Amino acid sequence: MAEFNAELTTNENGTAVVAVRGELDIQTVPQLEAVVAPALEANPTRLVLDVSELRFADSSGIALWVRWAAQVDELELLRPSPLLRRVLTAMGLEQKLRMTP
Amino acid sequence: MSDDGVEHEIHASRAERWPDWLPLATLVVGLALTAALALASAAQYRSNEQRLLRLRVHDAATLFTAALPEIQTSLGSAAELASATNGDVRRFRRYVAPLVGTKPGQSFVTMSLWQRSRISRGPVTVVGAAPELSTKAAAAFFAGATRGGTLNVTGLLHAPAPRIGYAYAAPAPAGGYIVYAASAIPPNHKSPVQSNSAFAGLDFALYLGRSQRPRDLLLTSVNSLPLKGRHAAAVVPFGDTSLTLVLSARHPLAGTLPQRLPWIIAIVGTFVTLAFSLIAARLATRRRDAERLAGENRRLYAEQRGIAQTLQHALLPQELPAIDGLELSARYAPGVDGVDVGGDWYDVIPLGRERVLVVVGDVSGRGLPAATTMAALRYAIRGYAAQDDPPATILTKLSDLVSVSRDGQLATVLCAVMNVDRREITVTSAGHLPPLLISGGDAEYIKSDVGLPVGVETDHAYSSATVTVAPGATFLAFTDGLVERRDESITDGLARLRGAALEQDGDLPELLERLVRGSHRDAAEDDIAILGLRWPSSTRS
Repeated sequence: MAEFNAELTTNENGTAVVAVRGELDIQTVPQLEAVVAPALEANPTRLVLDVSELRFADSSGIALWVRWAAQVDELELLRPSPLLRRVLTAMGLEQKLRMTP
Repeated sequence: MSDDGVEHEIHASRAERWPDWLPLATLVVGLALTAALALASAAQYRSNEQRLLRLRVHDAATLFTAALPEIQTSLGSAAELASATNGDVRRFRRYVAPLVGTKPGQSFVTMSLWQRSRISRGPVTVVGAAPELSTKAAAAFFAGATRGGTLNVTGLLHAPAPRIGYAYAAPAPAGGYIVYAASAIPPNHKSPVQSNSAFAGLDFALYLGRSQRPRDLLLTSVNSLPLKGRHAAAVVPFGDTSLTLVLSARHPLAGTLPQRLPWIIAIVGTFVTLAFSLIAARLATRRRDAERLAGENRRLYAEQRGIAQTLQHALLPQELPAIDGLELSARYAPGVDGVDVGGDWYDVIPLGRERVLVVVGDVSGRGLPAATTMAALRYAIRGYAAQDDPPATILTKLSDLVSVSRDGQLATVLCAVMNVDRREITVTSAGHLPPLLISGGDAEYIKSDVGLPVGVETDHAYSSATVTVAPGATFLAFTDGLVERRDESITDGLARLRGAALEQDGDLPELLERLVRGSHRDAAEDDIAILGLRWPSSTRS
């Protein structure tokens, strides 16, 4: 089982921020879903995923983000690693998922 | 497509197995050891006791001989006195009177003076009880006393009360007188053992002479002879004869622990052995259970894996179509665990006479949901292709089948239309990794706009890019399992694949096989689908 950890917080603007760490794959996707579910119940307009400490994300994890991106007006990936950025770019998803910086 | 993908091996080491005979062997060896130890301990105990008993019997026997000088002195002095006074009866009687009696310190019950030449006429005088010696017995008794100056232990009298007699003849020339004395022996020869004496805790029998005949018995501590149990005998000189002392121990001389030790060893050893045997038996049983479970798991795993692979085979093309003027090959390798069907696929669809649509795709996730979506996409592409839809349209239409919002799935799809005769490749990508083109000793990924993966947005417009290739060019389309490693950027993975492809110069199936094997060197966990096309080096005839 890959090492994985996700933590939901709310920043000063009331936006849900999820810190995602470790490896996100088909086995850990349900964990991330469970952590984020309460935040999505409120139909937020914005969701921030802090992925600075995410080492790996497979297509299941990326599919989950894309699904969320359709649910909220804006899904922001905070500080993605060059590795993750390249994967998302390779999949043509850079236009769907806002990456900052 | 072949079956020799990466095999997941489960090692069952025979060296770790607990043999079934181990508990029994433990029991047998343990009991044998226990018995040997107990017997050795018992033997040690016996020899130790025997040694101690021998020491005791020698000590005790010495006590008896210690009485001898006193007797000799008493009789010797009386004999010297009689000789010196020429048989003065009055002085003899006065001298011996204190020695005769039953008070403590009085050794004799009777003392008498005899004249050697007149033995047949009886004693000259008697102090104390009657000597109870017939003339004949006296002659026999005194026969040994001819040599003067030594104490003769004349022997045992049994009637009327048991006695032991001594005779002493004064040395020649003054000789001629013999002093006879007798000490009483308790009735039945029974002598109680004082608890503080040398015989404490022991039974003994004292015999006159060297034999242990009942008629030679002087004293014993027991009611019936011979002595029971372990015994030791010692013979010590006593005057002109000997005393034989036989001892047996009533209790172990070295204490009770050495006596009980063999039993303690036997009992404790048996318990310990039984305990170890039970533990060994339990471990063996557990081991067997674990092996049975492991075997069951292996079987289930193999079955599951078999089902997954069968399903995967069924969902992928059974064989690639033969395309005139184009060599085709494909490989599919399940990931390391291989128990789930994957969502990777490839397809080759002839479009008319000279064009071929090549598809490689990957549905996110694993298992039946991924596999069914994959099958739906594959057959939908075939359907749309049959309607002459261009790849960009096909990919857009596929969004009806997959929705990340609805199913949580998306799919990356690469469509490449090959114009065989014109050697043109038109690539359209829905979020898929770029294909690799190997041509003239170089390898490059074909650059094209990468559109959104299928399932992300319903009305996404895709664009295509067309390249023309040289004769002998090789086109490789693949899924991310071939290049993706968790610890590596996808860019590095693509660079690695490019390098690996340049190193190979075999035929097409061999190239695919080597690339797949190379990517599995570090235990790839994802499935791999790879499809290769090669134009002949020379122009078509």
